[in-house]
Amino acid sequence: MENLKKNIKDMLESGEIAGFLGLIEEEGHPIPFLFTKDSLDKLDALTVPDIRYPMTDILLKIVRKYPEDTIGVMVRGCDDRALIELAKNQKILSDLIRPIGVACTKEMAEYCRCSQPYPREIHYGEKVEGVKDRSDLEKVESMDLSDRLDYWMGQFSKCIKCYGCRNICSMCFCDQCTLEDDTLILTGQAPPEIPIFHLIRAFHMAGRCIDCGLCEEACPAHIPLRSLYRKVREDMADYLGYVTGMDETERDPLEFLGSDGYEVPTKIDET
Amino acid sequence: MAETEKGFEPKIIAFCCNWCSYAGADLAGSMRLKYPANVLPIRVMCSGRISPHFILKAFQRGADGVLVTGCHYGDCHYIKGNYITKRRVTIMKDLLKFVGIDPRRLRADWIAASEGDKFAKVATEFTEEIRALGPSPLRG
Amino acid sequence: MEYQTVRTTCTYCGTGCGVLLEVLDGEVIGTLPQKDHPINEGKLCIKGWNAHEFIYADGRLTKPLIRKGDKLEEASWDEALQYVAKRFLELKEKYGPDSLGCFSSAKCTNEENYLLQKIFRAVIGTNNVDHCARL
Repeated sequence: MENLKKNIKDMLESGEIAGFLGLIEEEGHPIPFLFTKDSLDKLDALTVPDIRYPMTDILLKIVRKYPEDTIGVMVRGCDDRALIELAKNQKILSDLIRPIGVACTKEMAEYCRCSQPYPREIHYGEKVEGVKDRSDLEKVESMDLSDRLDYWMGQFSKCIKCYGCRNICSMCFCDQCTLEDDTLILTGQAPPEIPIFHLIRAFHMAGRCIDCGLCEEACPAHIPLRSLYRKVREDMADYLGYVTGMDETERDPLEFLGSDGYEVPTKIDET
Repeated sequence: MAETEKGFEPKIIAFCCNWCSYAGADLAGSMRLKYPANVLPIRVMCSGRISPHFILKAFQRGADGVLVTGCHYGDCHYIKGNYITKRRVTIMKDLLKFVGIDPRRLRADWIAASEGDKFAKVATEFTEEIRALGPSPLRG
Repeated sequence: MEYQTVRTTCTYCGTGCGVLLEVLDGEVIGTLPQKDHPINEGKLCIKGWNAHEFIYADGRLTKPLIRKGDKLEEASWDEALQYVAKRFLELKEKYGPDSLGCFSSAKCTNEENYLLQKIFRAVIGTNNVDHCARL
């Protein structure tokens, strides 16, 4: 931890970065904070807690205002995948971001059912292997079609339309949101139209979702949203060989055809 | 309107691209080919223009089936729009299946401007398939 | 470049969810749920998620206004409270305590709401007490 603090201090003092987005502990509560040259004394309170805030989401807000500055940011495995996707979508320039990687503990990885609880480069913590757990998907897949629909409609009907899943999402950076588009969806009323409200978001997450699970954590109605997004993430891998958050040079096959042939998935007519 | 005396009449939304499939549907008309009136074509400029959200909206509003049609591979007026459509439909079908909507209710097919008979055939086949599946569970 | 988050309590209702107001260069730009708050446990409703929006709203009242003729004029708090007290007394004298009533707000604390009903029941003498959650 002391090394980490010194590292950040050096980067700030040398001017390599204009700010470092991390977390500080304030009266026992970890909260996001941007360290700058003027607030080096706050580095004493730097913390790596067991809770997660949408760091890249906050980063994006800062980058939008200071597009030319280099900024450091504390990233876990999920945040790092988000950085890759943000760079792909031209929301950030990787050259102007200095990720400081934190590896999650075994407990956190298990709590998050995280398949990759470590970033590309680890500056703090010990790397532990990811958790391969698709029991949430298997639970749904074990039902027949009509039970599945009953299950999901039951879940969706709990929605209070807080937009928390969208607001906390690292990948929700669009200027205009389909979920507020009154040509596609009934707006200005709660509860939302189901299942379209959740399915629109689910489909939009195909080729985008980095499986961080913040949406499900933020859902006041405990809707298992992450299973939906994991499903489309899995489909993207199975049908199109595309996994988000891996390589900055890859392109979302739902948006770009690519140059080496346009292989069409073969499983299309399977039901 | 769904239930007639004879039984269930499916309502099917067909998205047709301007350059091939819609012209194909037109040709079916000119050739006096019969296809079920259950199919309601909506013309879009390219099958690539069919946002997955349109498909979801059709189901939300009570469509029993959604037919997505475009040009054959290599024929797309915009070169590659239909490839993207195919990918989207693939993922969409699996998502629908996952939430309990029969993926057979969504079908993608490629129909050229000269294939009036194919349009009629696909429309008839699809209508019969949906009729066998029964009304959409999302119908209000 | 200055970004910090400020721990506070959502003002929208009596639940008391913990929120973090995001402050970028002195301007409040967003709200985040406080992840380790015992009440909301990192969740918020739509009002909470937008709790920062009224801060810079054009229509927000920041000073008391007194209607003079057909115009609303800015007044000091002292002036406004004196005026309210005077009119309450006059109206109570003239038409009786049931000519008065109060609306409190879910945005106030429990204690504030208690005090408001207390002053209307005990001091003014009416049961015309209500609050915004029934509007």
